[in-house]
Amino acid sequence: MKKLYSNKWVIFTLVLPGVLVFLFAILAPICLSVYYGFTDYSGMGEARFVGLDNYVKLFHDPAFGRSLLNSLLLAIGFICIQHPLAMIVAAVLDKLQGKAEGVFRCIYFIPNVISVAVIAYLWKFIYNPDFGLLNNVLKVFGFEGQVNWLSQENAIWSVLVVLIWHGFGWGMLIYYTGIKNIDPVLYEAASIDGAGWWTTFSRITLPLMKPVIMINVTMAIISALKQMETVYLLTNGGPANSTQFAANYLYQQAFKAFKYGYGNAIGVVFIIICVAVTVLLNTVFRDKQEA
Amino acid sequence: MKTGRKKIGKVVLWTILIAVAVIQLFPLIWLIDFSLGSSNEMFTNGLLIIPEKIRWDNYAKAFVDGNFLLYLKNSVLINTLAVILVVIISIMAGYACRRMKWKLNNFVKTMLLLGMMIPIHATLLPNYKIYNTIGVTDTIWALLIPYVAFSLPQGLFLMTGFIESIPMELEEAAVMDGCGIYRIVFQVVTPLLKPSIATVAIMTFLNNWNEFMMASTYLSSPTWKTLPFSVLEFTGEYSSNYAVQFAVMALTAAPAVIVYIILNKHITKGVAMGAVKG
Repeated sequence: MKKLYSNKWVIFTLVLPGVLVFLFAILAPICLSVYYGFTDYSGMGEARFVGLDNYVKLFHDPAFGRSLLNSLLLAIGFICIQHPLAMIVAAVLDKLQGKAEGVFRCIYFIPNVISVAVIAYLWKFIYNPDFGLLNNVLKVFGFEGQVNWLSQENAIWSVLVVLIWHGFGWGMLIYYTGIKNIDPVLYEAASIDGAGWWTTFSRITLPLMKPVIMINVTMAIISALKQMETVYLLTNGGPANSTQFAANYLYQQAFKAFKYGYGNAIGVVFIIICVAVTVLLNTVFRDKQEA
Repeated sequence: MKTGRKKIGKVVLWTILIAVAVIQLFPLIWLIDFSLGSSNEMFTNGLLIIPEKIRWDNYAKAFVDGNFLLYLKNSVLINTLAVILVVIISIMAGYACRRMKWKLNNFVKTMLLLGMMIPIHATLLPNYKIYNTIGVTDTIWALLIPYVAFSLPQGLFLMTGFIESIPMELEEAAVMDGCGIYRIVFQVVTPLLKPSIATVAIMTFLNNWNEFMMASTYLSSPTWKTLPFSVLEFTGEYSSNYAVQFAVMALTAAPAVIVYIILNKHITKGVAMGAVKG
């Protein structure tokens, strides 16, 4: 038995496909990015070694700073707007019984299964100043005048609204699962003791949901950092980089501005930031959970 | 008094649920509504329109000029292959890292899981270069390789958790009967993993079905383009015919929404299991 389970050849064949995929699709491109990050390669012609020039430039690049700021704004939007709402809706949904519960749960998640390509174009139309849904809604409530939702001052908030709207169902579903896992006996006991809705929520639901909240918050921060597709189609980082995000910026620099070397340098810093934030969040939350 | 308060509570409860449902669904209803009218009718002050004549021809145009069938076929094929590969590879690697006795098991597992932290979009630039050099751009491999690679860490993470929970006695009995490791993995362990395979399959599908950044970077001809391209390419072609653009968006969203509504219980469960554990 022991011999069978330590057969090197068998182990090698079992892990080989996974390791090959990892080396080829994840590690190799990272190494290549590190290499090109030190060059002034434009995408064509020769790559010249320029040392740390790209990284020095990146440090002083306001567009990159703006990208990180926007990720922070988005993360705050997720945590302060989307998550409290999602949790309240999840708690309310849990109180329903029968068919309605399933129907609402299904409805809330529908935007999540729709392609970002559709969502981004749809919202472009919703924000359209001429016939967009949003201006028409305002008209119904008596506000006149065409608001330009994607102007330089408004665009970032409009982008945040789309992202908060689109991811709502996902966050809700995870909180909902967390609430469903709470032992109903606790609620019965609370109701016998005459506890009201708010007391029950803040004394039982919230504390027991702590691990789920931590997972959800971690995922929200990381997805705010990695945001690209919606922004790429909705505003492409504009106007004037006001809705820029790191992933979109590195793509633009490499393929639109033909600064492939610089784009890769952004990529390297971007990867470091993502890994650092993930590790940091996991450490902080693990300590908290043990404490 | 008490029943009165309960009633108010119920009203508040339903108001919240319905308001959120309207916010989540109304844009989609608006989309379908406008896709059935003509472009001129869009310039209205109301929220919805009642089309003078229902314009099914918008959908006919979307279906034909959006390459709907070809792109749908590509999406189904590529995503199915990606799911199968992720499941098989993650069971193999998960079993080797959890059950087999070797020194590097934890190192290899951690290394493979690292992929979860790497932002996909940072690999777009170097991977484009790599695929171009070895000549896989514009082939099915340009999508399959990264789709498998970026779903594998999550798949592996879920699988190792589930494999651990299988009682060792079953495998011991199989060894007594003279089973080799490969047979144990694929004939004894895999059937027991059915629920987790479903979870991994659902998560992989959701990750990749709507992906278009990699697809639009690595592909140039329509041969392997996936469903989101129906929308991406269409907006240029019919830039002034808004109603047809709305039709193509509704049409592109339809397969995923229909499948989701039919399988919603399983998908909800899969996402809940996958996300909370991942």
